[in-house]
Amino acid sequence: MMKPIEYVDVVVLGSGPAGLAAAFASAKQGANTVVLERQERPGGILKQCIHDGFGNLRYNETLTGPEYAYREIQQVIAALVPIRTNCFVASVEHGEHHFLLNCISPSGIERISARALVLATGCRERTDRQVFIHGDRPAGIFTAGLAQRLINIDGLIPGNRAVILGSGDIGLIMARRLSIEGVQVEGVHEIRHESSGLKRNIQQCLEDFDIPLYVQSTVTSVVGSQRVKAVHVAAVDVKNMPIMSTEQYIPCDTLILSVGLIPENELAHSLDVPIDPVTKGPVVDHVMHTMVDGVFACGNCVHVSDLVDYVSESGSIAGKHAAAWALDGCADRTLVPVSRAGNLAYVVPQMIDTSSPQRSASCYFRVRHTIERTTQLRINSEGQQLDCLTFDELYPPQMERFAINETIFSSIKQPSADISIELVLVEASHD
Amino acid sequence: MATSLEKIQSVMTKKYGSALEISTPGSSIRLEGSLDTYQMKVEAGWTAARFGYKAVINDITVPDVQEETIACSSYVDNVLERLHFDVAIIGGGVIGTSIARELSKWNMKIILIEKEEDVGVHTSSRNDGMIHDGFAAKPGTLKALYNVRGNRLWEPLASDLGIGFKRPGSLLLFSNPAMKALYPLMADRAKRNEVDGWEFWSRERVIAEEPYVTSKQHGGFFLPSAAVISPYKATVALAESAMLNGAKLMTSTCLTGFEIEHNTIRRLHTNRGICTASIVINASGNWADIIAEMAHDRFFSLHHRRGTECILDMESSRWQQHIMSMPSILQVREKTKGGGIVLTEEGNVLIGPTAEEHPGREQYTTSPSDMIKLKKHFTLNSKLSMDQIITYFCGVRPCTYEEDFIVGPSDNISNLIHVAGIQSPGLASAPAIAADVAEMVIAKAKTFMEIQPKANWIPKRTADIITRRLSLEARDELIRLDPSYGKIICRCEQVSEKEVVNALHSTLPATSLDAVKRRTRVQMGRCHGGFCTARCIDIIARELHIDACDVVKKGPDSQICKGNMSHDETNRIC
Repeated sequence: MMKPIEYVDVVVLGSGPAGLAAAFASAKQGANTVVLERQERPGGILKQCIHDGFGNLRYNETLTGPEYAYREIQQVIAALVPIRTNCFVASVEHGEHHFLLNCISPSGIERISARALVLATGCRERTDRQVFIHGDRPAGIFTAGLAQRLINIDGLIPGNRAVILGSGDIGLIMARRLSIEGVQVEGVHEIRHESSGLKRNIQQCLEDFDIPLYVQSTVTSVVGSQRVKAVHVAAVDVKNMPIMSTEQYIPCDTLILSVGLIPENELAHSLDVPIDPVTKGPVVDHVMHTMVDGVFACGNCVHVSDLVDYVSESGSIAGKHAAAWALDGCADRTLVPVSRAGNLAYVVPQMIDTSSPQRSASCYFRVRHTIERTTQLRINSEGQQLDCLTFDELYPPQMERFAINETIFSSIKQPSADISIELVLVEASHD
Repeated sequence: MATSLEKIQSVMTKKYGSALEISTPGSSIRLEGSLDTYQMKVEAGWTAARFGYKAVINDITVPDVQEETIACSSYVDNVLERLHFDVAIIGGGVIGTSIARELSKWNMKIILIEKEEDVGVHTSSRNDGMIHDGFAAKPGTLKALYNVRGNRLWEPLASDLGIGFKRPGSLLLFSNPAMKALYPLMADRAKRNEVDGWEFWSRERVIAEEPYVTSKQHGGFFLPSAAVISPYKATVALAESAMLNGAKLMTSTCLTGFEIEHNTIRRLHTNRGICTASIVINASGNWADIIAEMAHDRFFSLHHRRGTECILDMESSRWQQHIMSMPSILQVREKTKGGGIVLTEEGNVLIGPTAEEHPGREQYTTSPSDMIKLKKHFTLNSKLSMDQIITYFCGVRPCTYEEDFIVGPSDNISNLIHVAGIQSPGLASAPAIAADVAEMVIAKAKTFMEIQPKANWIPKRTADIITRRLSLEARDELIRLDPSYGKIICRCEQVSEKEVVNALHSTLPATSLDAVKRRTRVQMGRCHGGFCTARCIDIIARELHIDACDVVKKGPDSQICKGNMSHDETNRIC
């Protein structure tokens, strides 16, 4: 006989920074909350991020990943929220006003019925084949996150001589980490014309360790039938296609890839949660409520963030409102789409619920192209400008945050067709 | 009737200049000389195959293409020294293992030797798993004969082997309205090949069956008997079934030579010692001509046609119900069917394969041009796109110039049977080929020994436990027996720790990460090992009592990590 169904208010899926913040916020509202974690320990990917740079905004100090995770875990434990580790959600059934989760755990099948779900499932790494690197398939090809886990958690050294493709933050951090462990890092190759990592990481991880960064350069193929023997690298043209005449043979035994993160939303798909084609995460309103009633989402499964502090912030919002949804029943939402214009790659949230008691919103955006001039971000509704913010420089890798405060929120006309966010370049002023 | 040498000489000279030297040793035709490219060499072989000889020996040299030698395992011992076997099978692909299992029904001493660390490493795991209907094979060929027979045998065989089997059927779309006129011709061919069923589907029927099909279709020809299995699971299961019935299976064992006396193989030399065998079966895939040469019986040559396929995310299979392709009219003259969309037994969508003549017998390098060739198949279903690709892989088909199978005893060596040139539809044909080869072996063996069918032969192999396919109740019960069935280590494919452990302690145990992957599907999902690799290394090291940095991806020299810091004091460098 299977264990009886357990009834709770809120289930949080994932115990990374988003899930932990959500669980704490949910419990603080008085909701009976449980966190499900498929790995052996809570903390998500923070566990393996032993470098510092976490928590500048949330804790006003610089912490390592495990330190940051520890604080969040302690908070959740203090709030008496159980974190069930080794608990894998195999499927979710959508009932009337509840969700039934079927979980696999070493103590048997656990069935949990929840009024609200918070998806905090994070993201996965894009692999070599998903960026169409060809050639052989030997041992010695790692995603940066896997290499990081092998070194920092398992104490294993992935190779002796490495080439890194992709200058996202994980790629940069791994260049430094490998160097510290005595691995010869031949260089970091970036297909774009600039690094997609934070500026501080380029300084601290590459320049301080004399690791060369090759921009507009990519790995074209891998050589070696058993273990990597070498990679071919080549410069790329404006369309990011390799220029074969520039191809070079670089002997190495390891290829590390930091070529992008993909939000993990397989459970969201199974619940038919609408997904934003740009972020690859669920479409959410300003309280992180997806377009399926009762399903909330936060953190990197919504959109890939650059700072953990933002991930935690979205978790807190999602947790708080998931609890409210579960406890107070289901109020109708008045969703107003947020449209974007100009150089904006995306804006999250994609919707504002104007009937929500939450009268302010944290918004995040990324630009498509670098802007090195002063830019204004204008928030308009029904042809009327509600707010205007100024940015000095904007880079695609950097996620930007702005807030719609209570005053502005209240000035959104009801009903309104949409809220539009546009980026406008400011003409140079003549002081 | 074979064409006269003078006539051949004149045809070949006209086509390829005077560069070629032609002779007719035995009942084969042999080409020597040199040509500029491998493609030209292969074309010359195809031309020679039309002159009515038993087989083509193609010894044309091509600049920058060296004749390859078998890369033998560096492992050496003498466990086979002085042992005698009634039958020795060279090669642990789906053909060798199928034959081993058939022969294990008899009270004979059987050995199968495989040079790699696992069975089914090469062509048998590098294909789309299709059990073809038999329509595509040329009527009258061995391919046509064995394919249709094999198709009938696979479903009960899969059930005995405890592996999955699905029969989605195959739909050939008409790319132009005039192709409907070909229906009677197609039906006639299906009839001649004795294919099990065929139907004409109207454009509307196709839309009803495949809602996301391209609008460019004009109906189609449906073959309901086309099926799919997991080719690597099948090969492992066949090997294990043979082993359960007493066959000896030696991996990392490479044939290095034969000792031949009076046109009979007396001894087999291997890296594991010298043994004897009364009957030898050459089932060595892409090396079959090299093995034949070792027996001084190289009456045929192989050429190697590689194919690349890409694997799409599991979610893609929601939009595709049948195996589907759109052959072009021009394709009739091609050597292959041209590829398309295949559904795997496990629920992925495969796109491919390509077909390209290439000299490397075990070269699995993929290239951007493969992807360009595969692009067209994506347009057959409006929901499929390149961004659903998880990975892609390459396999090599061993082909004779006659483009047909060779199945039968050697003309020159009294105790050698060749099973060569087993390209597509080789997987589909395997059980039928094995049945025929077993008959040949038994007939031969009866001439010099007493043989009886085994009374206690076990047809059934216990199916591996695949927890994701079980009901929640069944999973719950299993977890109570062993909690590690409840510890999911591969999130994409929902594989539990216990399934990995089982693979490491099965009848034919996995010894590498790739072998675990083929048996359990860890690493096969959308993260492609990003999350589970570290956990797999840990489990493999623990279960095999080896250091974590000695865990290999695929056989010797493929260690995944190069050093282990977790040892006290010294940094262990592997």
